[in-house]
Amino acid sequence: MTQASIALERSVRIENGLGPVKAPIPARDNSVGGLVARFESIQRKPNSPIRAIHRVPPREARYAELPETVDPRLKRALAAKGIERLYLHQARSWERIAAGENAVIVTPTASGKTLCYNLPVLNAIAAEPSTCALYLFPTKALAVDQLEEFNALGDALGPDVRAFTYDGDTPSDARRAIRRRANVVLSNPDMLHSGVLPHHTRWARYFENLRYIVIDELHAYRGVFGSHLANVLRRLKRVAAFYGSEPRIICCSATIANPLELAENLVEERFTLVDDNGAPSGERYFVFYNPPVVNQQLGIRRSYINEARRMAQTFLERGRQTLVFANNRLATEVLTRYLKESCGRQPGGEAAVRGYRGGYLPGERREIERQLRDREILGVVSTNALELGIDIGSLDAVVLAGYPGSFASTWQRTGRAGRRRDASISVLVASSAPLDQYIVEHPEYFFEGSPEHAHINPDNLEILVNHLKCAAFELPIQEGETFGPHATGELCGFLEETGVVHRAGGAWHWTSESYPADAISLRKVTSDNFVVVDISNDSKVIGEVAFPAALTTLHEKAIYMHDGRLFHVERFAYEERKAYVKRVECGYYTDAIEHAQVEALEGFDDQTQGMAVANHGEIRITRRVVGFKKIRFYTNENVGDGKLSMPEQEMHTTAFWLQFPMDYIAALPYSTDEKRDGLLGLGTVLRTVGTVLLMCDPRDLSISTSSAQGGPEALLNPELYLYDNFPGGIGQSEPLFRMRDRLGAQALELLEACPCKAGCPSCIGAPGEVGDKAKEVAQVLAKALTALADTDRVAA
Amino acid sequence: MQAITQSEIERLRQRIRAIEARAPKPARRVASEDRHVGTRPANGNAPFAIQGTVCDTPFGQFLRQEHTHPNEALHGSARIETLQGVSANWLEDISNGEARAADPRRWAFLDTETTGLAGGTGTCAFLVGIGSIEASGFRVRLFFMRDFDEEQAMLHGVAECLASHDALVTYNGSSFDIPLLETRYRLKRQSSPFDRLGHVDLLHAARRVWSERMRNCKLGTLESEILGVQRTGDVPGALIPQRYFEYLRSGNAAGLREVFHHNVVDIVSLACLSAVLMPAYSNPGEAALRHGQDLLGLARWLRNQGNHESALELYRKAIHAGLPASGLFPGLWESAQIERRLGNHEAQLQLLQDLARVANAYRADAFVELAKYFEHRVKDYERALEMTRNAQSHAPSAQLDHRERRLLRKAGRAPMHLVEPSSSAHRAVSALGSVA
Repeated sequence: MTQASIALERSVRIENGLGPVKAPIPARDNSVGGLVARFESIQRKPNSPIRAIHRVPPREARYAELPETVDPRLKRALAAKGIERLYLHQARSWERIAAGENAVIVTPTASGKTLCYNLPVLNAIAAEPSTCALYLFPTKALAVDQLEEFNALGDALGPDVRAFTYDGDTPSDARRAIRRRANVVLSNPDMLHSGVLPHHTRWARYFENLRYIVIDELHAYRGVFGSHLANVLRRLKRVAAFYGSEPRIICCSATIANPLELAENLVEERFTLVDDNGAPSGERYFVFYNPPVVNQQLGIRRSYINEARRMAQTFLERGRQTLVFANNRLATEVLTRYLKESCGRQPGGEAAVRGYRGGYLPGERREIERQLRDREILGVVSTNALELGIDIGSLDAVVLAGYPGSFASTWQRTGRAGRRRDASISVLVASSAPLDQYIVEHPEYFFEGSPEHAHINPDNLEILVNHLKCAAFELPIQEGETFGPHATGELCGFLEETGVVHRAGGAWHWTSESYPADAISLRKVTSDNFVVVDISNDSKVIGEVAFPAALTTLHEKAIYMHDGRLFHVERFAYEERKAYVKRVECGYYTDAIEHAQVEALEGFDDQTQGMAVANHGEIRITRRVVGFKKIRFYTNENVGDGKLSMPEQEMHTTAFWLQFPMDYIAALPYSTDEKRDGLLGLGTVLRTVGTVLLMCDPRDLSISTSSAQGGPEALLNPELYLYDNFPGGIGQSEPLFRMRDRLGAQALELLEACPCKAGCPSCIGAPGEVGDKAKEVAQVLAKALTALADTDRVAA
Repeated sequence: MQAITQSEIERLRQRIRAIEARAPKPARRVASEDRHVGTRPANGNAPFAIQGTVCDTPFGQFLRQEHTHPNEALHGSARIETLQGVSANWLEDISNGEARAADPRRWAFLDTETTGLAGGTGTCAFLVGIGSIEASGFRVRLFFMRDFDEEQAMLHGVAECLASHDALVTYNGSSFDIPLLETRYRLKRQSSPFDRLGHVDLLHAARRVWSERMRNCKLGTLESEILGVQRTGDVPGALIPQRYFEYLRSGNAAGLREVFHHNVVDIVSLACLSAVLMPAYSNPGEAALRHGQDLLGLARWLRNQGNHESALELYRKAIHAGLPASGLFPGLWESAQIERRLGNHEAQLQLLQDLARVANAYRADAFVELAKYFEHRVKDYERALEMTRNAQSHAPSAQLDHRERRLLRKAGRAPMHLVEPSSSAHRAVSALGSVA
């Protein structure tokens, strides 16, 4: 750190009223309560950066007796862990499951949720050792984590209770043993879809004895991923029925608006909701912090990264174990580095703070998790990788560097702070992004609003048909058989026309050489990744980066950051899927510049829609990394750049798009920028409405104007694309095209009903993200989509 | 119950048509006029193009066909009669005792034709062929399902036939045909007939002997190269699933004749190859293999079995028969190692010197071995030093530097006070130990 930046840092601290870090702090101030008192005093000042302090009162534990029917060996094992009674929600779920019902359990992070399913499953195994169960987790890491948790209790029943993870990493010689011997298999939907169900005969023993299916992190299965899982579960139930099994299903979810509905839509069975949380918790505070404005004219605020660092450091210096969440890889590593540097002079030093991302090797991640649990380290900076239920114990403080983007995600992350007895604190440090600014300046919008709904649409015809093919591959489809709620006759007739099934003896048989599960990916992620090799001394693999991110982070001359350390990328071997890096010390990091372009390939259909023409068809999105910037740490100055020639990334997908006549747009009485903002604003509204109409996840639908670079050429081709954010498309465009009347009308309704003046996150986007006139232009354009448009024009 | 509406289906149809129109597909589909959707092909009015016997079982019917190759017939250049000399214990020898000896009359040579190679529950064997050695010749029985509803009956027929056999001989059956059939039995809730049968997968044995010399070890390659079979009226394996699908949709079985023929030829080739390969394993010394590379493969198998004397004999034969460089130098190197194990130091020296003489991948290693030989066995430190330096000129390493320094000391060319006597003596002893 330069002299100048140290001086700057110091002045910033004083100015903010948090005081210089070096100042001696009285011992009593080190408690969370002391900190809160301090925040409260700052909040009372005019123009305080503290925008809100929200208090959640402490909650007493509510217990219930351990049920009589729990196996004595399990009782002893629980007693050894200090568990003599159950929390209320654990006892309730036990009752529901014992009554043969499906249960969905919704309680906060770290409330002992796993025991809700481990206890009934283990008890069933204790009573009947052949009992089998399937645990599904959205990520491999969670399965590994939960295996340990399961074994901690399962060992009480002796060595014959066997649980294994089963995923892409499982060696093939171990797979056979797992199929033969496992009681509990911990896996993920993708593996079930492509690795287990199409080979179910090898799992005959397992399916014959399958009594329970556990779906943890239920809320993760929204949108397309959820729609796929619903169909995978239809297939799973069908295969289980072939072996005479009808397993009960236990779901666990974080707080979302509609957990019961989501479980019932996903599983297509009745569920009982268990949400009477009996776990105790200490007092909790949630502070909204908006970095002060440093340049009044330009409205520039102090860097939220630096502010988040300072905030985290305030906690760390007081010995409070703190978890910092950043919203992307780069911010995570920059923050890790900053915190390591500023903690370097304290006891524990740099080692007291670590980074955590999905790209770290599994061994390193397990170590960090353990260090957190054992309180060997004081601070961790993480991406959303620690948002899901990986067991890291409970911490004193959480700092959110930037708004996580959704209510559910925010609550999930803050839930990581929370001791059983002591008070805990979370701080949201808002970035200058419009959404962040809106949230931090409207705390009531957040604290009084309801969490997001999770929607799925298992009946999306393309998803449904693809899974029906898999189903036919797995077992012939009998005439009159249903798939979920659907009769299959028509669909099978259609599949026969395309030649993949053949009817004989009252059933439809798979007659294709292909393996249909290979053609369907349940989510966007590809398994293709790059390995990062450190060649500073001997060659050593230090991390891995998923395919699309590799292009922006591992290009030549990039600075790759790992646990706050800097590496210079010496060579990017695209074909080998490797990047060779060397340890360096330099004052900057790099940020890639990416260009994207949308191009319509083929329209399947078009119709006039008011003033515009509505289309649906195939598009190509081309992304290319064209260069990078060198950015100095702390000051964020741009200290250089470079050009890059990286391979293009193409995605073909399906889109619904609107073409406005060029002369119509040209004639609108607004500036070019205002028109462009208005067009994008309309896109944002259309996406919101489309999401509701399709019952899909907003992340599955993307918007773009004809030139994503947003240059003036965007207005030469006034086109607005709503596309499936999924290679190959998932069939959202065609229904959007069909519902184009409602889409336009509801978009206009939403715009007119929204009480904001010039835009807010609920309509076209937060002010600041869009221009002053954007809402007005969006409204004009939305009108142009409706039948009213023509009369308006005449009137004008 | 929700029904997908006809209009939704129609839209999907349009979309898929649009996609398919853009991506040209190989002409795999039967023209729609030929289709008799939903009717059972065999029950159509057109005469069924495949001859055979319709067999009744408790699970319905299937079609069976039989072919007998008389003893006097030739399969390529192989005589069917040679199968009469097949010996019961060959199974044991070639499988390292995993398959027990069985009367050759009770061996089943099995091969399937399937609806694909993908594996999993959606791949089905529509034709199963079983060959048996009989007094009058070689008999192949084909079990065929005329449609999917005959699968269970066909599987029943196969199981009945296998009940009178004790051993199974396949080509790649351990990873393909047998698991696939086991899956089919499981899906029909029938017990698998394979559990009680010994099994020899000839592919593994063939790879050991022929992978060096042949471009691949596919059955078709070996039958043409080893047995001299030239196929006529055959269909490439990759097209077989499509032939069956076309038949299912059209009811016209003409395209299947070649598929049946293909299966029969495969099974006869499997039996004839067994008669060539199995005796080589049972009696390697007398193996009727002429090519050096084939002998080398067999020699390596024997070496891996720990059968060093016989292995060495075959290495010598292989080198004698002539080996290309890719086989010769590894062959020399491997024999040198075996000679060392057996304590034939003169022979080892000879082989190492041969290897050290000319450029090859083992030259540096040979020099290292020679250096060890001279240092520890002959105690000729000057020669050992020379060999070490030769090795270094080909592949320098820190280890060799270390050896050189030690040898310099031993040869009295370095000041002795640098040496810790006890540790150097210890090292010499331990090095000796590793040689002996």
